[in-house]
Amino acid sequence: MLTKTRGVKELLEEVIDAGLCAVCGACVGDCPYLVFYKGKIRMLDFCTRSEGHCYEYCPRTFTDMGMLSNKIYGVPYTGSEIGTVKDIFMARAKDARVRSKAQYGGSVSALLSLALDEGIISKAILAKTTRDKLPAGYVATSPKEVLECAGSNYMAYPALEALNRIPRESKDKLGIVLTPCQSLSLAKMRSLPPTQRVNMANIQVVVGLFCTWALAYDSFYEFLKDNLDLPRVKKFDIPPPPANRFDVFIGKEKKSYSLDEVRQYRMPTCAYCLDMTAEFSDISVGSVEGVEGWNTVIVRTQRGADIIDAAKKKGRLEVDALPAQNLTHLKEASMLKKTRALKEIIKRTGDKNNLLYLGMAQDVRDKLLA
Amino acid sequence: MATIDIDAPGTSQLFIGNEAIARGALEAGVGFASAYPGTPSSEIIGSLAEIAKQKNIYVEWSVNEKVALEAATAASYAGIRALAAMKMNGLNVASDFLATVILSGIGKKGLVLMVGDDPAAHSSSNEEDSRAIAKWFDIPLLEPGDFQEAKDMMKWLYDLSEEIGSICILRSVTRVAHARGNVKLGEIPKVDHKARFENILDPKNTLPTSIMTIPSSLRHAFQHMKLDKAREKFESSSFNKYVGPERPDLLIVTCGSGWLYSQDAVNALKIENGVGILKLGTLWPLPEKLVKSCLSRTDKVLFIEETDPFLEGAIMEYSASMSPESRRNIYYGKHTRHLNAFGELTPDAVIKAITTILNIKYETREADYAKKLEAVPQGYTMERMLTFCAGCPHRASYWAIKNALRMDGRDGFVTGDIGCYSMALGPAGFFQNRTHQCMGAGTGLANGFGQLWRFGFDQPVIAVAGDSTFYHSIVPALINGVHNKANFVLVIFDNSATAMTGFQPHPGTELTAMGEPAAPISMENICKAIGARVEVCDPFDLKKTTDTLLDLLEQKSGTRVAIMRRPCELVRGKKEKHPYKMKILQDKCLGEDCGCNRLCTRIFRCPALVWDPGIGKTRIDEVICNECGVCADICPEEAIIKEAVLV
Repeated sequence: MLTKTRGVKELLEEVIDAGLCAVCGACVGDCPYLVFYKGKIRMLDFCTRSEGHCYEYCPRTFTDMGMLSNKIYGVPYTGSEIGTVKDIFMARAKDARVRSKAQYGGSVSALLSLALDEGIISKAILAKTTRDKLPAGYVATSPKEVLECAGSNYMAYPALEALNRIPRESKDKLGIVLTPCQSLSLAKMRSLPPTQRVNMANIQVVVGLFCTWALAYDSFYEFLKDNLDLPRVKKFDIPPPPANRFDVFIGKEKKSYSLDEVRQYRMPTCAYCLDMTAEFSDISVGSVEGVEGWNTVIVRTQRGADIIDAAKKKGRLEVDALPAQNLTHLKEASMLKKTRALKEIIKRTGDKNNLLYLGMAQDVRDKLLA
Repeated sequence: MATIDIDAPGTSQLFIGNEAIARGALEAGVGFASAYPGTPSSEIIGSLAEIAKQKNIYVEWSVNEKVALEAATAASYAGIRALAAMKMNGLNVASDFLATVILSGIGKKGLVLMVGDDPAAHSSSNEEDSRAIAKWFDIPLLEPGDFQEAKDMMKWLYDLSEEIGSICILRSVTRVAHARGNVKLGEIPKVDHKARFENILDPKNTLPTSIMTIPSSLRHAFQHMKLDKAREKFESSSFNKYVGPERPDLLIVTCGSGWLYSQDAVNALKIENGVGILKLGTLWPLPEKLVKSCLSRTDKVLFIEETDPFLEGAIMEYSASMSPESRRNIYYGKHTRHLNAFGELTPDAVIKAITTILNIKYETREADYAKKLEAVPQGYTMERMLTFCAGCPHRASYWAIKNALRMDGRDGFVTGDIGCYSMALGPAGFFQNRTHQCMGAGTGLANGFGQLWRFGFDQPVIAVAGDSTFYHSIVPALINGVHNKANFVLVIFDNSATAMTGFQPHPGTELTAMGEPAAPISMENICKAIGARVEVCDPFDLKKTTDTLLDLLEQKSGTRVAIMRRPCELVRGKKEKHPYKMKILQDKCLGEDCGCNRLCTRIFRCPALVWDPGIGKTRIDEVICNECGVCADICPEEAIIKEAVLV
């Protein structure tokens, strides 16, 4: 991975100005030169350093997938559909109040609340939206605060900015909820820990969120602002296919947009992302096609399994088997994202040996392209 | 040091040129003096203000130069000798009135306009030769060649002004205004000023029924007659003198600072026997007979004068009317490129011109003089760029402006104005000011940029202005912006002083020039009354100031105002000390590491923050630190702290 470690100049050239920034937040929060503002990473002043964390941990600079997989799971990166799996099932929060606030089954809120209550973690890093429905990283210290963060609005946001803001001498044990691109940059931080930043060993659990694509904060915000009274919005939802809808719940009303209309505000960088299920996490959580009020949960590590067990034992989480058909669909959708993204990358570079940021074994690449 | 009102006629006192001018006004019995500060003219009114009360004269810092001149003129109408002072840029502001007061005439008491020019623009945004206006507007103009003349001319101009019934101008340049020399004093008369604007029914009335410019052509003719009268007096004036041989090989015609330089050059070259100097003090109208008699006794003429070829042009023009035999002279000067019509005169430049003409070999300095000179102070002085003082609120304001514009991300920019904050053209203000012209221009430009949205222009524009500048020339531009719905943000830096020219009060402050309670004019009330959205913030609260600016930029239409209010640290520092001092926690300072990379010494660059390459950390220069505390807020590691001190 260290073949190319550079500074902000290259970050601008290769990522930000190239339209590849995922606004994961890895480069902001502890840097006085880069800030996140209204959907974009902005440079306040030029940093002359030839090497910087900003470049090193960006999920769109060179990323050796094999090395990351080895460091985190002890296995090579194979390009399998949904990554490392210890267990996979359906789950939901037992508490109906949690479910009512949640996007689907409330599993993420339930797991983090449990981790806080049990002292597994003392701080949880999540996304919280403002009154105007702008999401930003947020540090929750209680189940009540965790619940305030429930729900999604499908916009890209800098979760890792909140992690970077935690003082480097902090001893707090951390849980963190991340989308696939964010978990990729965290994987880079964990496999080659940064200096002068919070100790990566403090992170006790990484909860990944399934993601097909995210919306660009600035243009989608403009669209929303023109169409809706944002403070009154209760929830956004993209129901599973074939609905092809983007639903907005305002009070008791529901307003639906064609997903095609909303899709034009996607982050361009999402087209180059191979990961739908947040493969570098302890537990990944998403919806279940056709089963309302439940989550698909993938357990990837032992510490992920331990938290699930504790949640079951404490009666926080209710689980059920994932129907075989759903697993098949999940794998198909996930593989489709991989192959599409790889083709988009090659279309952009015009060279199948140049995969932009992806460091991937040739046989894995060829298998995906086949 | 003696104050300008010292009662010791016949003694010599050490005065700077501007004090000598003020003394001259006192000796003339001036009762009214008004000005807008501007280098190199500020000390005239400044020193008069100090003694105004005991001398029973009225002294005012006016809102701008035009008002200053108009106010002084009123005093003349009411029978009080009056003075208006300004720098050359101020003359431009006042010129509209000046062009008409020469037609309408003055009162029965004298009126003098003192203008300070700044060759080489040491403290100005441009070079400008005010003498041109004398010719352009038909006004008698004198220029002192030394400190004594500065005083004497000022006094004499009142007699001339009253005798011919015209406003008169005294022009000086920085090197006369700010240098110090001996001045032999005269008496200060005891004047019992009685002001009255005479009733037209009063049989003793000396004022016309209407003070007006019409019929303009006729009054213009009168003014030419007044000039002729002045010329006659100038022919025998002791302010003009010739030194040198009866028939010089080369005649130097000079005035102002050129007078001393020319004497230096002639002495240094030891050519007193061959070179004569005609020093003129009465520059306009030209004392033609005197000039003619000198020109007729030489073949070669060299003009030595600051900035424009004023005498050079006027004399060459005049020589065309002379008889053929006296027209044989060869003229040297700026038109022959022996001297520059820009920058400042120096004795070296004068020597070079003379030696070139006379073909003399003379090296004024060793070839490597400049290099040697540079080496002298090394090790004794710190290298420091042109920058704001330590603790200056402008640095904090510009930090917020820079960050807001970069965060906004639409390539917004700042249109600059005239004041300490002009330094934001450079690293002191993070290169934020993109324009720099005259007072008020930044807001005027923003008015234009603010209408260009209809042509696809989508960049935010921030116009900046100091508090004094706001009152001086921003208000009309703001009215124009609000009325025409121009899209821009006006940022007013309210540091409660006209800081750049020496902390003179202005209409927003609480005391007058004479130290009496003033009625402070609220700038936010003015802006609100005009109809602008107004936000007030403290630039030392960087976060709130940046957020306020972002919110104003977000509005994307109409004219909005942000007042950044924080007294100049030099003003505050005179009144109080902060109860803490700044300290750097060395173990926390990241230095050049990732996460900082010397933000404080590389970008913020307060002169009190010093990079220590030996330890790779920043230090505080406690001697110049004003403890503003802003650096503690910009440090990403919280390594800079305020440490309480026992008072």
